[in-house]
Amino acid sequence: MDPIEIRLPHTIQRPKATPNYGPRTHTTRPIVTGTSVIAFKYKDGIMMAADCLASYGSLARFRNEKRLMAVGETTLLGVSGDMSDFQHMQHTLESILTQEYDMDDGQKLGTKSVYKCISNIMYNRRTKVDPLWNSYVIGGLDNGEKILGYVDLYGTTYQSATIATGFGGHLAQPILRRRVEGREDELSEEEAVQILDECMRVLFYRDARSLNKLRRAKVTAQGVEISEPYMLETNWSFAESITGYGS
Amino acid sequence: MMDYASMQFAPTEVPVEHHSHGGWEPYVDNGGTSLAIAGKDFVIVAADARQSDGYSINSRYDPKAFVLSNQTVIATTGYAADAKRLVEVMEQNAQTYFHKHDRAMGTTAMAQLMSNTLYYKRFFPYYVFPILAGLDKEGNGAVFSYDPVGNMERVVYLACGSASALVQPFLDNQVGGANQRGHEGGFLDRATARKIAIDAFTSATERDIHTGDWLDLFTIDRTGIHREKRELKHD
Amino acid sequence: MTSIGTGYDLSVSTYSPDGRVFQVEYAQKAVDNSGTAVGLRVKDGVVLAVEKIKHSRLLVPHANRRIMTASKHIGVATAGWISDTRHLVKRVRDEARDYRSTYKVEIPAKIIAERMGMYAQAYTLYSAVRPFGVSTIIGTVDADGPQLYMIEPSGQYVGYRGCAAGKGKQVAKTEIEKLNLDQMTAREAIKEAARIIYAAHDDSKDKLFELELSWVCAESNGLHVHVPQDLFDEAIQHAERSLNDDDDDDEMEGDDE
Repeated sequence: MDPIEIRLPHTIQRPKATPNYGPRTHTTRPIVTGTSVIAFKYKDGIMMAADCLASYGSLARFRNEKRLMAVGETTLLGVSGDMSDFQHMQHTLESILTQEYDMDDGQKLGTKSVYKCISNIMYNRRTKVDPLWNSYVIGGLDNGEKILGYVDLYGTTYQSATIATGFGGHLAQPILRRRVEGREDELSEEEAVQILDECMRVLFYRDARSLNKLRRAKVTAQGVEISEPYMLETNWSFAESITGYGS
Repeated sequence: MMDYASMQFAPTEVPVEHHSHGGWEPYVDNGGTSLAIAGKDFVIVAADARQSDGYSINSRYDPKAFVLSNQTVIATTGYAADAKRLVEVMEQNAQTYFHKHDRAMGTTAMAQLMSNTLYYKRFFPYYVFPILAGLDKEGNGAVFSYDPVGNMERVVYLACGSASALVQPFLDNQVGGANQRGHEGGFLDRATARKIAIDAFTSATERDIHTGDWLDLFTIDRTGIHREKRELKHD
Repeated sequence: MTSIGTGYDLSVSTYSPDGRVFQVEYAQKAVDNSGTAVGLRVKDGVVLAVEKIKHSRLLVPHANRRIMTASKHIGVATAGWISDTRHLVKRVRDEARDYRSTYKVEIPAKIIAERMGMYAQAYTLYSAVRPFGVSTIIGTVDADGPQLYMIEPSGQYVGYRGCAAGKGKQVAKTEIEKLNLDQMTAREAIKEAARIIYAAHDDSKDKLFELELSWVCAESNGLHVHVPQDLFDEAIQHAERSLNDDDDDDEMEGDDE
């Protein structure tokens, strides 16, 4: 007769002993992530784009995620990196915005203030060695001045006429620098959209963590406008001639 | 009696602080170069404005030299986020001092303050190589050199940052006249010092990928701070 | 009050022999000395109005507001001590923020009212504290529609269709009772609220006062805001006209303008 094997239900099985020493492992890697955000200045303000994908490793897990959001009336925020950290940031910003509203002093939080606020949150978290695993792009008009800034999990900040996070920094930024740099005040909206789509198409072709369903957004004197998701025309016929790409 | 000859000794381990947890390093190097040259009654401070991360250029214009008072300038290199916070802390203290005493803090006092500010974070340092430059009480040009944890030294000229290994020898040669027969010593005149500062950056931009785009150049003298913004190569 | 001076009015931790807590009643008196505050809950929103008595002509208009915003959708109008009010409004804001950060939903009216009631009540229990000299009117629109609550210094909190506090509360309540609140729009209610504040105002005692008017309704996008200037002016006109009409009525009927 076979010996009886007693197995505890998994619910009461003791977990493997976890040592209370050694490196801390939480918040040291992103889990559900968004890929590149690209943004640049144009004649009327700021343009920004990001796709709708939140990946779980290589799995295209959530395909209808909003990675662009308005902060107040004149500021646009784009995010890449960990989506739960982003939701935490959203939460924090909502709270700050409510506090500002309650003040009832007629002041509105401008883009520079939102940028500084997010930057401080990010730098303070990195200083705790418990970073929010994100790169943020903040764009907007502050008293008619175009502001476009970046901040990441290191608290590193910079402003520039063109900004691209993640993969976009390698694939889209060269295109943006060629087509936008020095022309920030003359680019029409039509051309800006065309540049944006060109960059997003290149990213979709080569970034395996991207999705051909994206949103575009702009900040102008009229305020923030975030588009509904849309798709780009693609052409994969070139793939046939590349060994290992298609077949 | 101990038999030391036959005893085995383990190598002595140096206690080093680690701030990485779970493999994440809380520091990045954003490159950039800065320098300062003291003259008899002036001082020149220059810093490029490129911010980079590895092989990527983040921004072509992200200034890293800042005016702290009407006679003192700070220039930073290293980790940009820390550098900006350090400058904020210095600005705030300079401001508080001004309001308390109704006069600007002197350059040498500011120099000591910066040393203290850096040392305050000795065990989680600001990863910054700052230069503080200005006029001292006698009106002479003063340049102060630091390491990230607050070790301080007053010098005549100095280069810091990603191209410091290129620029410092150049300054040794052109400003210090180190080991050069016939070198007269003494301070440079203003035009020469300015030209050397600009040449240093033109050449550093040629060879160092983390230096370039724009140059912020400050000349500080009895009349105040004079600022120039010059173009460097954008490649 | 015959029991005054018998020693039972020194602390909230002691009842009087006939079962009263005098300090709470005195706090209510502090409220009754204040300018009138009114809240109206109508079919499509909630309206708040305050008679802010000004002790000096040197005050900047709109300074020291007595209608405050405690969350995007919550308005607080008060009668009583302004310093106590500010403390309580901070508490409302903190509660609203905590609720939002826990549930990602704006706090429902009855919960904020309950929490503020509990908070006020806690200041009626211990000898070391003094009850708040404030009646707090909370107006909001939540998932169940327009809501109006008033919290008393005792900690008692009640939901109302219309409520009033302060020195003109008797006049105000009489006027409110005449209104058909369930049928009324917020726009109409603003005018009525202004009229009631003007009616409750005693010109012989307090010459200077400033009217504050706010609302939460569809027209304000569900936010608590001070009413737009044109509506505000309209409301004041309406209030002044009906005051004059009343005066005329006292003298004689008719007499077209």
